[in-house]
Amino acid sequence: MLTYQDVGLSAREDQEIVRLLGRRPNELELGLFGALWSEHCSYKSSKNLLAQLPHQGQFVVQGPGGNAGVVQLSADWDIAFKIESHNHPSFVEPLQGAATGVGGILRDIVAMGARPIAIADILKFGTDEKAPGLLHRVVEGIGAYGNAIGIPNVTGSLGFSAVYDANPLVNVLAVGMRRHGLHVGADGARPESVLILIGQGTGRDGIHGASLLASQDFGAETEEMRPTVQVGDPFMGKLLMEATLAIVDQGLADAVQDLGAAGLTSSTAELAYASSVGVVVDVSKVICREQNMNPYEIMLSETQERMLLSVPKKNLAAVLEILTWYEVPYAEIGRVVAGDFLRVVAESQVLAELPTSVLVGGCPRLPVTHDVWIWDGDQPAALEKTRLELTWGYQVIGHPDCRDRSSVYQRYDSMIGLRTVWGPEHDVAVMHIEKGSPGLCVAVTAPARWAALDSYAGGIGAVAAALSLVATQGAVPLGITDGINAGNPENSEPHRKMAALIQGIGKAAEIFEVPVTGGNVSLHNETEGQAIWPTAAIGVVARHPNPEQPIADAPPYAGTRILVLNPPGKPDLGGSVLAEILGHPGSYPVLDVGAIQHSLHFLAEIISQAKNVGLLACRAVGIGGLFVAVAKSLITKTPMALGAHLVLAEDADARFVFNEMAGQWVLFVEPDFKPFWDQVFETHGVSVIDIGLVTDSPELMITAGRAITWPLIDLWRAYRKGGVRDVR
Amino acid sequence: MNNDLSVGIVVFPGSNCDHDTIAAISSLGAKPVVLDYRLHSLPVLDRVILPGGFSYGDYLRSGALAAAAPIMDAVEQAAADGLPVLGICNGFQILCERGLLPGTLLPNPSGEFICQWQAVRVASESPLFTGLDQGRVLRLPIAHHEGSYRVAQGQLAELFERGQIFLQYSDAEGQLHGLTNPNGSVANIAGVQNRNVVGLMPHPERAMAAYLGSRDGWDLLASWLGMGENAVC
Repeated sequence: MLTYQDVGLSAREDQEIVRLLGRRPNELELGLFGALWSEHCSYKSSKNLLAQLPHQGQFVVQGPGGNAGVVQLSADWDIAFKIESHNHPSFVEPLQGAATGVGGILRDIVAMGARPIAIADILKFGTDEKAPGLLHRVVEGIGAYGNAIGIPNVTGSLGFSAVYDANPLVNVLAVGMRRHGLHVGADGARPESVLILIGQGTGRDGIHGASLLASQDFGAETEEMRPTVQVGDPFMGKLLMEATLAIVDQGLADAVQDLGAAGLTSSTAELAYASSVGVVVDVSKVICREQNMNPYEIMLSETQERMLLSVPKKNLAAVLEILTWYEVPYAEIGRVVAGDFLRVVAESQVLAELPTSVLVGGCPRLPVTHDVWIWDGDQPAALEKTRLELTWGYQVIGHPDCRDRSSVYQRYDSMIGLRTVWGPEHDVAVMHIEKGSPGLCVAVTAPARWAALDSYAGGIGAVAAALSLVATQGAVPLGITDGINAGNPENSEPHRKMAALIQGIGKAAEIFEVPVTGGNVSLHNETEGQAIWPTAAIGVVARHPNPEQPIADAPPYAGTRILVLNPPGKPDLGGSVLAEILGHPGSYPVLDVGAIQHSLHFLAEIISQAKNVGLLACRAVGIGGLFVAVAKSLITKTPMALGAHLVLAEDADARFVFNEMAGQWVLFVEPDFKPFWDQVFETHGVSVIDIGLVTDSPELMITAGRAITWPLIDLWRAYRKGGVRDVR
Repeated sequence: MNNDLSVGIVVFPGSNCDHDTIAAISSLGAKPVVLDYRLHSLPVLDRVILPGGFSYGDYLRSGALAAAAPIMDAVEQAAADGLPVLGICNGFQILCERGLLPGTLLPNPSGEFICQWQAVRVASESPLFTGLDQGRVLRLPIAHHEGSYRVAQGQLAELFERGQIFLQYSDAEGQLHGLTNPNGSVANIAGVQNRNVVGLMPHPERAMAAYLGSRDGWDLLASWLGMGENAVC
């Protein structure tokens, strides 16, 4: 006899099910509840928190709740985009776990009727002996799927900390485009329509992936979880994508839902719930890959590369013709009816019947109380005044979080599709849409070290950092998507950190007036009581005014002035790479969001007339601080012929050079326009300081009282190979 | 001017550079004609391209299954009748598997996919590429997992003697050396030809505009379409 524990439910939830149904569920029904009331499907611990994020905005076409958020790029094109996680599977089986993570988020985009045009990966790994192997296989998996299905991987983020040893993070952002005005989603199913399941034959893979693997902490039995990880088939994914897009382009389906976590159960129940209809699913009609699969297995299988279509009868012949053309297997597995239930049958025998209001909408959510929001963790004291040291430059740029990423991104096809103007070799991606159309700017950030110390301030910082990146291009942010990763929500501390993180994201989104149009929450990233840092992966899509001519991120010639826009009044090393190296993490500073917002507006205005004010290049200050931003502008140029001489105030110390307070930019400006920039505080109310000039000597020199010189070749070597030992 | 030039583009299940190739051919003013892999005969055409991608998911071996697809009988016949055929990346692998080009493409020695900008040098002038001089260096993207070109023992000299080596991986100055070889191909070979059949690993269709990083793909494809120096449109 199956019990509630077997399907991952609590006693309280079991009682609630009996109360809401007015009866005990049978075994199959209990299994359906186990899946849909899992943390992974129900967001029960986070939904009330996420509800507080701002979702509305000028360009929002569809906010959270669908398979992906949709924003308007231009009169002709909408952009669908979302981040999703595949953390647990990627630890248990890195290659397939990561590959199916890519496949899953791409199907979400396709289910919105959008053609995927880009992916980005946000990865966190540990520092133990297992980490390099995990990284290698995760990258192989992401590449194996993305390269084969033919979607370019255009940007990414990679970070390391021992807290991810047993819980690496694999979050993937996918971006797609669809004609403005086309509405496709799971919410349009109408009675009389036929339910068609297309794609891969259903197998026994991934049963309980949502309820047991993704919704519980890891323990000693993790090894036994391997069979709950699915195997990806990008070839079938490609056929499924093309067939689905052909069907929606012709308006032949009234609803589309991909099969992800909890497979047929969640797709049918969620489609019914979103469309306010009932559905009848006949498991005997489902094409199975294995023999003698029982209804429980069929309903809970997480076999990849499957899509559910609701097709009005009059369109059936046309749909089947398309599926036949693309050689995508399909079966008519049920029908849409008036009502509000999911009924599972095997031919004439009814096996389960549950109201979707209970199954999808009834899961008890963790309430938000005021207490949850208050951050009161102990924080180590801030670092005192620190004299700049030569070795710190090498240590910071050679730190795993700052280092060159070419060994990762060269394993991804970043150019397929003819849209990649700027790919992963830059801090931000610039994509071409079509001749005469605005382009798309895509950036991701996941500054976990900041949120580890102060989740609220770190949440603000993560959003500010992402917006700072697209601001370097004068791009108008259309929306952001958030991937929240945290520990066990039933434990007080991880839950409170997650709550503070989400609140910080919400605060920033509100101040910067950019809506959060969807995202993902992955909890239970915890092993034997050791939780990860609360980690927000932020993805932003922005309208690029002139994608064929991005604003450079490196200076063009010697003599160029180097300015900093919005330098912090009180630079604070808290949460920075240098602070970690010095063993004195401090606390991530609370940012002046007003000044950042002002600077964002200023950049948007000034970049549109860059030539008139002598603005030659721009780079956002991120991980590693000003030092890394300037150094990268010099060492990523070929040939490496230009250096810089920064002349700082006598008392400027390491805090100025290495702080990671988001919302600062390095600007490279023609010297002739110095008068304009000298007065920009008076004319525009933003703070800009001149810190030096570009030289024709290949070294970075900083004078602050005394002078320190870093030959670029040494910085380059540290950037490429890491560490400081090989340098000196 | 070249609107009457029709270029067939074969789409296998799993091809994924077909859209890009169609766009490139259109932008050159020629007429792309999509050819489904199930066809048993070709319409009247001036050229045929086998585009890049992962035909049949690269299952068995890259290109092995596509080489046996129904349309390949017709392509082989047309090639024998003199129709110019160009295979790009996976298309190159398919042509080798089919035996229309010499040699074979093995997995990269790193065991990893590689995607980067790459300089390639035109190794020999070819009547198929009018106006593309020997020694010309092109900047083109490569993106493949199986691009390590090998030939049977003793075959290499013969290929050079017959002028069948078309492109070689080089540095930006056109120098050939080990450091410019991204995938362990013998003699840095990036593209070969056999009479009117050509295969290359780099993707010219991705290098059609300066904003994409290079316009050299335009030159290469324009030349193959007969729109080079001697046939300016």
